Amino acid sequence: MTLPVTSLTESEINPELMVKAFFGPHHPLFSLCAIHVKAVKDGHGEMSMPFSDALADHRGALHRGMMVTLLDTCCGLSIFSALKSMEPIATIDLRVDYLAEIPPATGLTAVVDYVGRTDTSAFITGQAFADGHAKPIATVTGLFAIGTMGPSFDKNLSEPKA
Amino acid sequence: MTNLSSNPTVQHASLLNEPFHRFLGVEERDIAGETHYFMCSRTEHIGNPLIGTVHGGILASFGEVVAAVHLAKQCRFTTLPICSTMTFDYMRPTFSGELQAIPRIIRVGRRMATLSVEVHLTGKQVCIGRFIFPVAHLPNTKEVQ
Repeated sequence: MTLPVTSLTESEINPELMVKAFFGPHHPLFSLCAIHVKAVKDGHGEMSMPFSDALADHRGALHRGMMVTLLDTCCGLSIFSALKSMEPIATIDLRVDYLAEIPPATGLTAVVDYVGRTDTSAFITGQAFADGHAKPIATVTGLFAIGTMGPSFDKNLSEPKA
Repeated sequence: MTNLSSNPTVQHASLLNEPFHRFLGVEERDIAGETHYFMCSRTEHIGNPLIGTVHGGILASFGEVVAAVHLAKQCRFTTLPICSTMTFDYMRPTFSGELQAIPRIIRVGRRMATLSVEVHLTGKQVCIGRFIFPVAHLPNTKEVQ
């Protein structure tokens, strides 16, 4: 089992740099959602997003689509931190089981853990929580292709400042 | 399904009117007698700006919204059903453009309904989702009349 050729150096594994690389300087979706990285280390990632009226459902709660988006994003960051590489990855299969409704006007937190990998794929599992609630409101499992097309995400780190 | 609302178009006109639906920009159109759903990807839908692909969560959300609306319309539910399990497979990178979702009702039982939604971009299938909805508790127009 070998890591990608372009693994990050020890200094580049700094979680703050990894987050900066992953989000890029002006990521429209992540900026719109105000996604915040709470923790990332060794295959474990935690991300949160606040409630937003613009992304709500008819009950005044965040739409479950935003929870899926948050979970999918957190999966990616968890895999990057586990592989210690910012080579591009792609979601291949995602399963989300909804355990409870998202409470109205409440933010969300995704907690995702890397499970393992093959030469071509990485596997994750995780949960989503409504802020202030201890029980998960959704679970996620997923399969991601690693080393897919496109430039490495840490390209963002080397781009000249505007 | 014989006791339909007198105007089902009006009955279900508000199903795609949630703030999140507007963020996605979902529209429905009649294509050769079938209802298909469309979404033009925008900058805020992009997951990987380096290659301009739509975020996987946005694609799955599009599929789930389509599945819920389609099931409600076909079964004359007066509220949107709530998905209990979603499985979404991504087959190709999904670049910007107009995405077309084609829903299929696999089965509606007394307790559960199963739907699939194919998403196409410029004639190629880019992903497919399967969605399971509990339906036993949902009121429909037949019951409320």
